[in-house]
Order: sequence, then C-alpha cells, then structure tokens
Amino acid sequence: MGRAPAPTPEREPGVEEILRARAPQGPVSKKLPGPVAWFDVRSRSTGHLAFSMNRITGLGLVFYLYLHLAVLSTLLGGEDAWNGFLELATTPLFLGLDVLLVFGLLAHGLNGTRLSLIGSGFVPNHQKALFWSFMAFGAILLVYTAVHVFGGEG
Amino acid sequence: MSVSTGPSTRSRSWRWTAITGVSLLVLVTIHMVAHHFVVDEVGGLRTYQHVLDYIATPAIFVIEGIFLVVVTAHAMLGLRSVVLDFGLSEMWRRRLERALVVLGIVTVAYGFVLIGVLASRA
Repeated sequence: MGRAPAPTPEREPGVEEILRARAPQGPVSKKLPGPVAWFDVRSRSTGHLAFSMNRITGLGLVFYLYLHLAVLSTLLGGEDAWNGFLELATTPLFLGLDVLLVFGLLAHGLNGTRLSLIGSGFVPNHQKALFWSFMAFGAILLVYTAVHVFGGEG
Repeated sequence: MSVSTGPSTRSRSWRWTAITGVSLLVLVTIHMVAHHFVVDEVGGLRTYQHVLDYIATPAIFVIEGIFLVVVTAHAMLGLRSVVLDFGLSEMWRRRLERALVVLGIVTVAYGFVLIGVLASRA
C-alpha cells in the first residue's frame, strides 16, 4: 500500500511575488535545446555571439557554394543563357545579395582568422578585443565592396 | 549510445579546418578580386567570352582548381563539426564522415568537369 504524498506547504504571503521576480523574464530565457543552442544568440556573451556568427555564416557559405556551382552551370547553356543570368544578376536586389555574400565571407574569414591565431598560440588570448577589431576592419572592407559593387568601378 | 570523438581526431580536424581556412583567405581574395574587382561592369561580372578566356588561362585554371578542392574540404569539415554536435554514436559518426567524403568528391569532380568544359570552349 503506497503512502499518500506529503501536502505542499502553504507559502508565506509575498513568496510568490519574489519567485516570479527571480524567474527569467520574457522569451530570452527559453533557449534552444542542446545541439542547436549555439544558434540562439539572445542575451549571450561576445564569445558566444562570435561562435554563432561563425556557424551561421559558415552554413550560409556552404549553401552558396552549391548555388554558385548551379549558377556557373548556366555557362554550359551558351552565351544566351549566360546573358540572361547577367540581366538578373545586375538588378539591385541581386547586387545586394552580392554584398550579403561578402559580409558572410568577411565575418567568417576574419572570425576564423581570430580563432586560428588564438588557437595556435600566435597571439595572446584577448578574444573580445580581437573580435571587435576584426569586425571593425571587416565593416570598412564591406563598405568599400558595397560602393564598388553598386558603383561598378574600382 | 553517444560516443565522443577522441582528442587526436578532434585536434586533427581542427588543424585541417584552420589550414584550409587560412589557405582560403588567400584563394578567396584572388577569386573575388580577379572575378569582381578588375571588371568595370556593374557587379563586376564578366561576359560569356571573357569567362571562357579567363578560365582557359593555365595559371587561373590551376588556382581555381586548388580553390575548389580547398573550399570543398573546408565546407565538409565545417558540416562535420556542426552535425557532430548532435552527439552521434560511433557508427553514425563513421557514416557521416563517409557521406561527407563522397559529397566532397562529387562536388570537386563536378566542379572540375564544369571548368574543364568551359576552358575547352575558349
């Protein structure tokens, strides 16, 4: 015969309010589960932001690798097929996607360089300072690229 | 049961990711500058004949071939590390690695066929 569960003690007045105030607020507290937790950058540290950005841009670049091969395959269709693609690729929307691609390359490349430098012991471990320095450098290159892509001259 | 990969496998894959990544910094820069920064058209895109002439240049063909191999290896190593976060068993880890090797070989082979055909048309 099982024993009856012990009754939950009645809380003192005001305890519920304190527990509610201590509980994490809003949707930020609901992080994504284990293996995909890196995808969720809300309220995370700079290190986590860098890691997530590296993975998100990396996955985007893998997608682009295959998209690029598919686009280049239009060359096999001859000059008319390629000219058709050029018309589409020089519209502002597609030029904007080119700039997005360069953003991905810069973010992934510069962050990867930072990780390689720290991981191999070539530079002291100042992760935060290195991250923001590299991102500032990347932002300058991105602006230059955007001006070039939309301006059409080097 | 989830089995983690040993430290030597992890450090080897990290080393190769770093080596291919650093090589890509050079190769992507060459690729982007040669394709998009030396052409005065909007978007820096070459005409059909320009693309064929460009890819048929022996030095460019070799550089683009190396770029294809290195970028594919880096992409497969990256995919592997993302999927391994799901805590695969030893058997599934091996299957994943074999699948990525096959995908990498198919990608590189298709890329070489593509640039080979284009170079032959110049």
